[in-house]
Amino acid sequence: MKTDHLVAALAADTQIDRPPASWILPGLALALATAVLAIWGTLGFREDLMQSFATPLPAMRYVLTLALGVTGVRLALALSRPEGRGLAHLWPLAAVAALALGLLLWAFAATPQDGRQMAIVGKTMATCLISIPLLSILPVGVILFALHKGATTAPALASFAAGIAGSGLAAMVYATHCTEDSPLFYVTWYGLAITGVTLVSTLIGTRLLRW
Amino acid sequence: MDDWGTLLTAANSGDGRAYATFLRTVTPVLRGIVRAKAGGLGVAVCEDVLQEVLLAVHLKRNTWQTGAPVRPWLYAITRYKVIDALRARGRGILLPIEDFSDDLAAEAGPDPTESADMAKMIAMLDDRSARLVQMIGLDGASTAEAGQALNMSEGAVRVALHRAFKALAVLRERHVK
Repeated sequence: MKTDHLVAALAADTQIDRPPASWILPGLALALATAVLAIWGTLGFREDLMQSFATPLPAMRYVLTLALGVTGVRLALALSRPEGRGLAHLWPLAAVAALALGLLLWAFAATPQDGRQMAIVGKTMATCLISIPLLSILPVGVILFALHKGATTAPALASFAAGIAGSGLAAMVYATHCTEDSPLFYVTWYGLAITGVTLVSTLIGTRLLRW
Repeated sequence: MDDWGTLLTAANSGDGRAYATFLRTVTPVLRGIVRAKAGGLGVAVCEDVLQEVLLAVHLKRNTWQTGAPVRPWLYAITRYKVIDALRARGRGILLPIEDFSDDLAAEAGPDPTESADMAKMIAMLDDRSARLVQMIGLDGASTAEAGQALNMSEGAVRVALHRAFKALAVLRERHVK
């Protein structure tokens, strides 16, 4: 087939797919609503939920996880465009990670030595490490789907961003149940759950996002 | 916004004529880029790659953000597809043809814009889709004329044509792997 003929045929196809960004926000809203309902229906919200938004240490869980979600989604959105690799910034994600690490170090210093181990291990480590990945499936799936509809030229980085964003938001929802308020606990175990989900997302996405 | 941006904006809001002009304008530029990057593969393979690039530009034109510069977007797609094509075709086994030019008989000079791969993949589509692409591309039929010939409504032709190009992209992925 001659290129001119192909061009003529392509030009006759005036149907255009929705932009990838238009999938992410409605999809994520749905995924997060489902996650909130799942927490409410199974584990239940923590009793002092309203107070936890207003007290610094518990509130930092929402702040840090939301920050991961927002910066991750922004990175994924930039990378859904072919030229996005040149426009994407990694430093906001790095800044959130640095803030979390700083909080962890501060808590380590501020917690008396004999209380540290108890604060790190907590009582609900297993629930945390199971719930966050489960709650991540939908949000990470939504972002990967949107990226698949796009045209990323950096599949590994884009699916990394999808993993961070989706599991960050999942952890934020999980925090409405979790009562472990020491950064020694939540930076460690939320962080581990988020790292695991991100790793899996990157492995899947690197293949899935090729086009 | 430059002229390419104006054309693509109109194209993405459904102006078929602006879209045809856009594709015809960018084709020689993209051909130049493909030949510069993959010239070692020969003119015919370059044309195959160019057609893959054009198909990708077509199917992914929803990722262009209205108002953004067209060139970085277009060249990023081209670069990605050329690298993909080079990888798929195995760059390692190619030798510069100049080394053998004394031993090779001159070819009869086929049309340098003719490509075999796309024709093969179109042949792998279902009959109706293949005929649609042929009629509109080769015979210059409009969607309405093609619909009349195949006893389909114009809307059905548009849907079928869009599906045909998506199927071609999938076929190409499999073909490459």
